[in-house]
Amino acid sequence: MWMCMNCGHVYEPEEGDPVSGIAPGTPFEDIPDDWFCPLCGAKKSDFEFVED
Amino acid sequence: MATAVKSELPPLEDLDDPDFDVFAVERTMRGDYDDPYPVFEEYRKQGAVHKLELNEVFAKHHDVEMHGLNHYTVFGYDACNRVLMDGETFTNYEVFKHSLGKSFGRTVTVMDGEEHQRFRKVLQKAFLPNVVARWGDSLVQPVVDRLMSRFIEKGEADLADDYTHHFPFQIIYSMLLLDPDESARFHKLAVAQLLSQGGYPQGPEATEKLGVFFRAMLEQRRQNPGDDLVSHLATVEVDGQYLDDDVLIAFLRQLVNAGGDTTYRATGVLLAKLLEDPNLYARVCADRSLVPLAIEEALRWDGPVTLTYRYCKRDTEIDGKVIPAGAVVGVCMGSANRDPTKFEDPNRFDIFRKRTVRHLAFAGGPHICIGQHLARVEMTRALEGVLDNLRNVRLDPAKPWPKIISHFMRSPDHIFVRFDV
Ligand code: HEM
Repeated sequence: MWMCMNCGHVYEPEEGDPVSGIAPGTPFEDIPDDWFCPLCGAKKSDFEFVED
Repeated sequence: MATAVKSELPPLEDLDDPDFDVFAVERTMRGDYDDPYPVFEEYRKQGAVHKLELNEVFAKHHDVEMHGLNHYTVFGYDACNRVLMDGETFTNYEVFKHSLGKSFGRTVTVMDGEEHQRFRKVLQKAFLPNVVARWGDSLVQPVVDRLMSRFIEKGEADLADDYTHHFPFQIIYSMLLLDPDESARFHKLAVAQLLSQGGYPQGPEATEKLGVFFRAMLEQRRQNPGDDLVSHLATVEVDGQYLDDDVLIAFLRQLVNAGGDTTYRATGVLLAKLLEDPNLYARVCADRSLVPLAIEEALRWDGPVTLTYRYCKRDTEIDGKVIPAGAVVGVCMGSANRDPTKFEDPNRFDIFRKRTVRHLAFAGGPHICIGQHLARVEMTRALEGVLDNLRNVRLDPAKPWPKIISHFMRSPDHIFVRFDV
């Protein structure tokens, strides 16, 4: 799972991030680089892949 | 081994006046305001931003550290979220230096920008969801079981006084490898730190005494590290250096306070709302997939932290009103969480509501709660402890119903129940 290292938010591809225009079903890799963590505002590059 | 580690440390010194009743004073400072939500609603209806010091509306006692500054308060969800998310315009140091900066020291809440990010990432790493999930069995459950064993044979309990009030504090003491059975003094000093807000000398005294204790603890764990949280924080290196001791001590002061005081209140609200509605309680008991929904709704409906603050760095217009540079901005999350443009029929406690918008009980933006994932694990285990162990549990008809009070740090003081043994 892709997790924000600033706040621990886990990006759920099935939910996407509709508030920021990321449609449900969007894989993390396909999110634009200027996207921000919806909880804390950290950059996409602040997310790391963490084993479940 | 908890006791072995503890015996090598100097004891935490008690307050000079050991009979000073910290909990009673804290309770008086918080006030007994019944229900602040109609007041929040009234302001919100009139506009998202108001020039006012919210504390003055409710409290009989001033917050001596914040009183008299140039206060504004934001009430609407979008306005609150905007202030919280924009850490460049709405900063922390300039406002929290008056309050938490005095009580805890140089902790993350009192930092901004790059300095905040640097420390925050290291600290958050110790509380990421995958880390705290493992603590459910190792740290949380033993505390839940121990507290419950003290009343399970009695057929009656006060789930606030006997259970919720203690469990998150004791989990933190276990995390720090302190003996939870000797936790009363820690609990008292942890809470006493914030009495500075009321101008009580016991506030700085508690801050000082916890500081002495934690400094010795860091030294000890650095020399003889184990696999506990403090050993980790004491020995972790960033750019080849240990984290500053004053930051770690301030964080530990914050941890023993904020980590316990909030979670116990949120758990009290959760239990009270479910027990008030026996049908709902029975549904949650039968279908445990409802537990996370109940937790999120309790946090939205009446999260303990109804208000936080930011400092406005430059003139900023929100909802047609200019907040001037230098103003203190109160962010009323309690109001945002009941904003009808975001939550349908917002005053109803409804665990089945559609969750298209997230609540702000843990705030948002760069300072969003570090402990939110731990709090969820703790609340889950505490609720499951009741669901699993207290047969036919019901509010005690002979005793007063739980009453959630205060305008800030809301919780019920008592949850009297009976159950079958
Ligand atoms: C239901 C329980 C809890 C609630 C409602 C809660 C609420 C909050 C809120 C609203 C903030 C943000 C304050 C602001 O931005 O001005 C915050 C920050 C914080 N919380 Fe919690 N909290 C809870 C549990 C915990 C726990 C268990 C811990 C311990 C790990 C914790 C540690 C912290 C820390 C260290 C911060 C400061 C973060 C920063 O400034 O970067 N909290 N909490």
